[in-house]
Amino acid sequence: MKIAMIGWEYPPFKAGGLATHCYGLTRSLANKNVKIDFYMPKTKQNVGSDNPNIRIIPVGDSEIFPYDRPDSREIAGDFYEAVYKYNDLVVKKILYNMEKHGKYDVVHCHDWLTMNAGISIKEKTGIPLIVTVHSTEYDRSGWLNPNQWFIDIERKGMEHANRVIAVSHFTKRIIVEKYGIPPDKITVIHNAVFPVPEGHKKDIVLFLGRLTIQKGAEFFLRAAQKVKKYEPDTKFVVAGDGDMLPRLITQAIDLGLSDKVIFTGRLSDEEVKHLYGISSVYVMPSVSEPFGITALEAISAGTPTIASKTAGFSEAFNNCLKVDFWDTDEMANKIISLLRYDPLRKTIAVEGKREVSLFTWDRVADKTIETYRSVS
Amino acid sequence: MTSICLYFEVHQPIRLNRFTVFNIGDNESITRYFNNSLNQEIFTKVAKKCYLPTNNLLLDLIKEFKGKFRVSFSLTGTFVEYCNEHMPEVINSFKELFKTGAVDLIEETYYHSLASLYDDLDEFEEQVILHRQMIKNIFNYKPKVFRNTEAIYDNRIAKKIAEMGYKGIITEGTEKILGWRSPNYLYKPVNSEIKVLLRNYTLSDDVGFRFSARLWKEYPLTADKFSYWIAKCQGDIVNLFMDYETFGEHHWSETGIFEFLTHFPEAVFKHSHLDFITVSEAVERYAPVGEIDVPLAISWADEDRNVSTWLGNEMQIACFNELKNIGRKIKEKNDKKLLEIWRRLQTSDHLYYMSTKGLADGAVHAYFSPYNGPYEGFINYMNILQDLKQKLD
Repeated sequence: MKIAMIGWEYPPFKAGGLATHCYGLTRSLANKNVKIDFYMPKTKQNVGSDNPNIRIIPVGDSEIFPYDRPDSREIAGDFYEAVYKYNDLVVKKILYNMEKHGKYDVVHCHDWLTMNAGISIKEKTGIPLIVTVHSTEYDRSGWLNPNQWFIDIERKGMEHANRVIAVSHFTKRIIVEKYGIPPDKITVIHNAVFPVPEGHKKDIVLFLGRLTIQKGAEFFLRAAQKVKKYEPDTKFVVAGDGDMLPRLITQAIDLGLSDKVIFTGRLSDEEVKHLYGISSVYVMPSVSEPFGITALEAISAGTPTIASKTAGFSEAFNNCLKVDFWDTDEMANKIISLLRYDPLRKTIAVEGKREVSLFTWDRVADKTIETYRSVS
Repeated sequence: MTSICLYFEVHQPIRLNRFTVFNIGDNESITRYFNNSLNQEIFTKVAKKCYLPTNNLLLDLIKEFKGKFRVSFSLTGTFVEYCNEHMPEVINSFKELFKTGAVDLIEETYYHSLASLYDDLDEFEEQVILHRQMIKNIFNYKPKVFRNTEAIYDNRIAKKIAEMGYKGIITEGTEKILGWRSPNYLYKPVNSEIKVLLRNYTLSDDVGFRFSARLWKEYPLTADKFSYWIAKCQGDIVNLFMDYETFGEHHWSETGIFEFLTHFPEAVFKHSHLDFITVSEAVERYAPVGEIDVPLAISWADEDRNVSTWLGNEMQIACFNELKNIGRKIKEKNDKKLLEIWRRLQTSDHLYYMSTKGLADGAVHAYFSPYNGPYEGFINYMNILQDLKQKLD
């Protein structure tokens, strides 16, 4: 089986969870003897593969950061143009490769950015199209002023796809309700995780994610203020970068947390793993979270996790604590309880690690191959 | 002759209010531990679905078969408190049943607690006596047979109960203690003179758990089929022990559970070698056929049939130890109000909700739990214990 997969990031080039997903998925598919040509924008870093079944094919000449939300029209214009240009180049390259090396069995796209290319290949060659939805525009905008341009591309891609893969039932529901896609066309495949080693735990409560409206860091800070009064030795780490960083720093100062909160900015993979390892509590207060791989990464490092009730992973995961993202009193209650009660922290860490070990890329690959077979 | 001993456990725990770390140390916080409105709501619901209709049905059956259909009950203290507070007609209907002479009552700890697992058995004995007084007040009766919380049993408990004058004690008929031997006889403990009734868990669970399971190969279970299985059993006595809520609550009325119960006595009497007896009659009529030796506690809960249901993880053990330590201080203080609160917190259900056992058992735990998972159960309960502890300083 030979697959043309279209993405926009792949380790070491990485802005979000998509790179992790594409890496895990392609490795496990390759181990099951699926051949993958992975198309992505050319990056400054050298992206390659040591697995003979995976070929990384860089296209064009620029990196694209789709998580940046183009606020001003000027930047937006450039951004849209870069996306169109990338999709056109991918189509040309795929057609060229097919002429030279033979047909693909399936074209597999990840999220809106790559969907136009997938549609175009399907229309020109008749090759079945699969799209995986990692997040929708509604999630990324935190349900405030979603951008119609993205929504239209997402809808068009899902309508043209032979099958849609959603990373959770939470996301499937959005695809059905907001995009009008029939539910029986959507397969849910939960993400997996590469385990992170446990470190020497410190009194650290961790937030890690893009600092955008979607991820809810402001709720983390409000809970931190409540915790501070009861557990004064605790440090709060906000790791990540994003358009809300200046506002969050101001908020932390206003809440009287300047001596308690550390903003790390963007971190390397190694630094992220280290932080997961040494934190005592991980909090994921996302306003809208299709899956939430970071929660499973934290849990794999033995870090008890408090996540939004609606986070996609938590619909299939028991050994974590769940809160409404806006309920910062309850969030603080759970943070303090975890810091205070050793038996709670230990039990949830042990049980969480056990459960997280069931979320393997091997399982994701099996289900993905099943989906490929159903259309080819 | 083979006798059927039908016995029902009737229990409702006193569920707790949401209690956060921010509530610890509040004034008057001790008055806010128990969730009266939730408790009343659940009790009223179960009373209407199970207690009242099943009591009526049993009364009719006892009359119809002129006392040949016989049953036994254990009523926990917390259950009776609910009756007195919210629906006295429930306790009245138990009194009606008892008056027929075909109904027996079983002793247990008033608070359905784990006091039998404490380092010494003083508190356990006090709670058994509280239950004895309650049964005496309501029914003017002194039970002869004892069943500990969820049939928790070991040599030490058996010895204590024998010393307290009971003639029989109930536990689980598990292979762990029986080996190859049958549960359909009475046994005696290695260390004391008392008769042990053992639950036939296969037949009991056919009704208690599997009755409405459509995937079960014996589905649907009819009274005739079930009676035929009992009739085939070797032995003196078949002990069918289950939650009373089996009728109308665990299995809803729509599953046909009431029709099953309605036809059960009639189906049994088609077999001339079968009859019904109460637990007291069982220990009078039959003699033990062997000894059982139980150094480590067993119970009838979960697949493990031990105490891991309540003490299976660190959270449960921490709460259990904290509870014991608080008790020591409360007894020194001799404060009646605090003592009662502490005892209500001993009801085993609070620890049951914190179980992290997976798969089959986990689903059962989740069904009964008022919490969103074991961790929230722990946080809430531990916060309350911390508050109670502060009140003692």
